[in-house]
Amino acid sequence: SSHEYKLNFRKSKEACLSYIQDAMLQKQWKRAAEFLTFYVESLEKDFSREPVTPSEIIWRIGTEILCRHSRSSMKEFNSFIEQMKTLRVKRYLKVCLEHAFHLLCNGLIDEAYQTLSLAESWRFGEQTTIQDKEMKLIQAYRGLLDYYSWSKQKNILLERGQDGFEDLSVEQEMHSCFRKAAVNLKEIIKVPGVWDQFVKCYVDLLEFYGDHNEAHQVLNEYAYNSKFPANPNAHVYLYEFLKRHGESKKSLVSALKILHDIVPSHELMIDFNTMLQKSKKRKKRQLGLEVIFAALDYAGWKENVKAWSCLARQVKQIVVSEKHLDWIKQEWNSRKDWWPAFHFSRYLAKRNWQENESLAYEKALVAGILLGKDGKYFKYVSHQGYKAQMKRFRILKKFVIKHNFVYLRISG
Amino acid sequence: QLGHFFVDHPEDAFGSLGRLLHQNFYLGNSKLKVSLRHSTIRMTALMEEIDCLEARRGCPQQRQAPRLRWFSHLCRDWLYEVPLALLADCAHEELLLHWANLLFDDSPTGGALAWLPPEGTGARTGRLVYPGGQAMNHLYFQDVVLDELPRARGSPAQFELNGRIQQVAAARVDGEDFVGVRSDYHCGVWRVPGRTGLAPTPLQVIRTDVPASCLTVSPHLPGELAVCTQSGAVYLWNVEMGLQRLRHDPQTMFFRDDSPWRWSDFTAHPRVLSCADRTGLQCLDTRAPERCHFDLFKVGEEAGCQRGERVVLPLYLGRAHPSQHLVTTQFSVYVLDERLPMVPALKWAHMMKAPPLFAHLTPGGPGRSQKLLLGASRTQELLLLQYRGKSAHLGRFWAVLPSAGGSCSACQLAGPPQKLHSIAGCLQHLPAQLPHRHRLLQQRLGAPAAGLAAALLENGLRESLLVFQLSEAGDVFCQRLTHEAEQPPAPTSGDEATQPPAPTSGDEATQTPPSPAVPSPAAALRYRRWLKALSKGCGESPQHSWRPTLSQRRLFTRKDLETPPGPSTLHHEARQRLRQAMREGSCARRWDTAAPQPLPLEPPVTGADPLSARLTASWLGDWWQWWEERSSSGVARRQRALRERRRQQKR
Repeated sequence: SSHEYKLNFRKSKEACLSYIQDAMLQKQWKRAAEFLTFYVESLEKDFSREPVTPSEIIWRIGTEILCRHSRSSMKEFNSFIEQMKTLRVKRYLKVCLEHAFHLLCNGLIDEAYQTLSLAESWRFGEQTTIQDKEMKLIQAYRGLLDYYSWSKQKNILLERGQDGFEDLSVEQEMHSCFRKAAVNLKEIIKVPGVWDQFVKCYVDLLEFYGDHNEAHQVLNEYAYNSKFPANPNAHVYLYEFLKRHGESKKSLVSALKILHDIVPSHELMIDFNTMLQKSKKRKKRQLGLEVIFAALDYAGWKENVKAWSCLARQVKQIVVSEKHLDWIKQEWNSRKDWWPAFHFSRYLAKRNWQENESLAYEKALVAGILLGKDGKYFKYVSHQGYKAQMKRFRILKKFVIKHNFVYLRISG
Repeated sequence: QLGHFFVDHPEDAFGSLGRLLHQNFYLGNSKLKVSLRHSTIRMTALMEEIDCLEARRGCPQQRQAPRLRWFSHLCRDWLYEVPLALLADCAHEELLLHWANLLFDDSPTGGALAWLPPEGTGARTGRLVYPGGQAMNHLYFQDVVLDELPRARGSPAQFELNGRIQQVAAARVDGEDFVGVRSDYHCGVWRVPGRTGLAPTPLQVIRTDVPASCLTVSPHLPGELAVCTQSGAVYLWNVEMGLQRLRHDPQTMFFRDDSPWRWSDFTAHPRVLSCADRTGLQCLDTRAPERCHFDLFKVGEEAGCQRGERVVLPLYLGRAHPSQHLVTTQFSVYVLDERLPMVPALKWAHMMKAPPLFAHLTPGGPGRSQKLLLGASRTQELLLLQYRGKSAHLGRFWAVLPSAGGSCSACQLAGPPQKLHSIAGCLQHLPAQLPHRHRLLQQRLGAPAAGLAAALLENGLRESLLVFQLSEAGDVFCQRLTHEAEQPPAPTSGDEATQPPAPTSGDEATQTPPSPAVPSPAAALRYRRWLKALSKGCGESPQHSWRPTLSQRRLFTRKDLETPPGPSTLHHEARQRLRQAMREGSCARRWDTAAPQPLPLEPPVTGADPLSARLTASWLGDWWQWWEERSSSGVARRQRALRERRRQQKR
């Protein structure tokens, strides 16, 4: 009966697919390709209503096999993809985009550009929202390629400019590239999403032509529009832009403050801390202490000498001046139950001393002040420093012993 | 559950009748008064008799115990009066559980095998931690020397636990390994000193009322673990400070899902935990769990998930990059960065036939790829996946439409994923066996996988990865992947080309697995040894132990045992329903028409027949009151009837 036939057909189709997957996962590309030729038959009677249709599977698997197979050529690949493009109209744009990526990976930039342009001019019936999005992506990537040729020509011009030549045709071409790139890039970054690469290129273009206001606005929008996913990179770009243009300290601080709120473990936090430490305002210096403490909470910062020396410097400053010990106390309160085990264990003292003496020095200073002169970490490191007869460790020991009262104050 | 009904619910099974009949049982030691003898049984004598029986276990000379038989005969009318509604509920619950387990058993999530690598460079002796024994309730710590063929050294340190071990998790903090062990109702933690030769010490055990579904060990702080239970509670467990409950929410986080499975893992910040259920992941600050949390991953559009996609196993990838997490679903694997949550940095459809319940990360050094192993339980699938992440710098995420779920990002797969050999695959490399032995072997090797671990072995320039796999039968298998330098003509391939032979670690029931071509002679030898041990173990016919038996023949009359003449229409109907339910994969809830009416349990229906009213009353424990009422209402009724009659007579 027809039901049974369908059932059997489905079964053998599934079996065939699992053979293909098996062969691919064992890197037997030839075998996988052979099975795939059988699997193509499943297209004829495509009864399935599954989310992943056989035609998509054939496209994906075929691409994978042709990418990996040792004897496949670019020509074969292109002809396979052309067939795939016509197999399902709804997927045309997606296939084009991935085809362009593949060409780019193989260094065929002009061909990729052509593919994207062709895809852009494609029309079929009414556009769905998904197709709309895909079309935008295609345009954006074409914009990216335009940007690429723009920067290439820019470099040629700059080189020749040094030699005193001027080339009008190159310059004109460069400007037309700029226009094409700018239009497409501007479109995509209006859609909520993570568009780091596009934003960077667009800002670069704008900056080159001196349109700082527009660039600033784009970056602001990208960083602060709540429809976009919270993206730390957006704030980094904004900060870098502001820094490049010599903006006021205040705006730099506010940009970094938001980055600190989103990602307290970002590497820019060291810059932020240095900036705040230099500030004359008390509040800012307190924020600086908060920032560096928060950064050192993260496992990735455990052995960061720079960060430890920032903290050591600021703690030392506070202890010497004997003002604002309550800042340290406040930060220490929420950490005293786990920092000793996390940062200041004897095992770590031993390892830090062996691997990185200056890290051990900075940490020992902090440990000596926060945990007193009898803390495991300080004791071990200062003892080793004493044995090695190093002057700075002797000074460190004296300093800690002299200021041991701080430990009593903040732990009390 | 059903088999243990009388043991698990003695109150329900015997309580009411016990209360009704307690006057007729005598629990003292002295002789009974003659006047009471005809209505009272002396229980102590009965107990003595039963003890005697126990003592005579194994004695072929069965002596009849008339008193016991007599008692059984007396009791058989009421002993099995189990309330049907209750029984049906229990049966239903049990069947549902079995059905869900058949479809997908998530209790071994995380895997019960851990490798504790050697401390310090140059050391070659690590430890393998795994469960064993008939009920998988023995925990073994086995020293293993990594050589060409890894081999067990000495006998393992052994601990007997009182539950089946579902998960073994381990992490190294400050040169010491902390090993967490999860069984259904108990979680324990052991400390293993870094230097070999020192015995592991158990630190603490906690008991849970609801089965625990997750136990992870902190890579940051010594003696800290995260525990989740199926009731939706998440705990931070510190060996010194005890338990801290962070969340208790039986509901799932993002949308409704029935699974009680919960998971929790650590993140880059030692005070922040990730919490997962089937719908996604959230990060919680343990210092203020109510206020401070953010969503890390959600099954939905942002990650380009398919319909019906669910989280199967999250894993913190801290050893590769401090802020990366792995999330596996039944269709795909995702790599997430907690600094840019919700948008996966890498997505790849793994095409595994069963959901990956085990995952293991072997970090690659600078410039090398990170090696991820994924393992499934039922199908024993094992997949090696390599990816590169631009570490240290958060930057250059390629533009991806979040909804399009593209896979271009800072993370990138390195080379095609690779399938490794499954345990069952080594059957073909074993010497030919007698058919029944072959079947036995097939069964043994086909047991679902229960855990996964890997050890990186650097032997001069030759680097290799030893992959250990544990089966539910308690065998540990091992295969070796050797690194081959990238060949210039292959432009995009990964840096870890793998293949050749696959040797193993040995212990009581531990052996070697398969190789693509031929197992090495040493591996073959070990196979042979294992086979011998296995067949010896199976050859022992199980000692027949004599149990005291009571013949049932005299307990029931022949008439009782007679089978009904043929299946009634009722049977027919029920059978049909069952069949239909099985076809549809749904569960047959209490067949409404067919089942005999269960006793009304809760609300004592007024006006019900006197027997059930009486039973209900005794069920609730206030039988005496009922009797009082009954007798007094009886008096009142009689009086009323009398008055009525008098009135009629007067007319």
